[in-house]
Amino acid sequence: MDEDPSAEETTFVVDEITTVIKEAVESTIGNSSYQHSQINQWMSSIVESSLSQLTKLGKPFKYIVTCIILQKNGAGLHTASSCFWDNSTDGSCTIRWENKTIYCIVSVFGLAI
Amino acid sequence: MANQPLPLSQETLAQFNRSMATEPGASGPPKRRLGSISTRRSSKDQPHHRPLFLRGMTVPSSELSFLSANVSNSHVSMGKRFSFAGWHQGGRVSFSGLYLQQPIQEVYVENTCRTGPEPGCHFSATRTKQILQATLDSYLEGVCYSPDSCSQLCLMLADLVLSELKDVSPPRYKLVCQVVVGQSGKQGIRVASRSLMNLSTDNYTSVVFQNHSLFAVALVHGMYFE
Repeated sequence: MDEDPSAEETTFVVDEITTVIKEAVESTIGNSSYQHSQINQWMSSIVESSLSQLTKLGKPFKYIVTCIILQKNGAGLHTASSCFWDNSTDGSCTIRWENKTIYCIVSVFGLAI
Repeated sequence: MANQPLPLSQETLAQFNRSMATEPGASGPPKRRLGSISTRRSSKDQPHHRPLFLRGMTVPSSELSFLSANVSNSHVSMGKRFSFAGWHQGGRVSFSGLYLQQPIQEVYVENTCRTGPEPGCHFSATRTKQILQATLDSYLEGVCYSPDSCSQLCLMLADLVLSELKDVSPPRYKLVCQVVVGQSGKQGIRVASRSLMNLSTDNYTSVVFQNHSLFAVALVHGMYFE
């Protein structure tokens, strides 16, 4: 049994995950305009594809993916997170994406097993 | 090393010097030992009043000197860097001059061989939800949305919720808490979350608060640390 995995395999690498998530969001909502009827589908698609891509990375992590889709209407939005975990092994990243009518904020938290 | 630790007290030095002077064979040349203090008998028998500084000090050969190693018989040269880390009055000292320090002990945590939480020690979604709801209601009641203050409010809420949950959460659980605060306008918003976790040990809960000017969504995940 391999008891000494390389450092890369057991730490949360932000860049890799950012790329994965951005692709997932682009492929789902790309150039679409905000449509209330489509929202459920978009959300499920973004979150599921993100999670499946993260799983494919094959790292010993538990993931939490949160997605917020907000219609651009001039209203303000704030989001904050606080975590009780091990700083050396766990991490998070937040990806903001927008187009003309939609704001999309995806947060990924990775907790080492 | 520019700053030396405190010099030896004069009494200590004088005492040591006197004891050295009374020893047989003390008239011979001092032992030269690296990292040690050696004393020299002087031709003049007078107490030494000057404070002891180990570097950059040149002493006329005729004077008594309580100096470091590499003392030549006639002249003190401080060409060699000499460190006395840890010299201070009252510290433990051996007469080789080395300061005895406690070795830094690394903390080793034993393997508990535990693969799951104890029965009754699971993350309770219902209890967490109650706490979350109570916190949001009490904190946000009557609060109006303001772009300047709400970012701080959001951060404070996240920390507050985490600190409350830390007290009640079972051991070996990691917590991730996310708070979304927004202005109540006519826009549509949806918050969704999906996670890759072990359903037998992990869980999550979410709570929504809304008033006339703002809304808040709090999301908490509890993950067991195997």
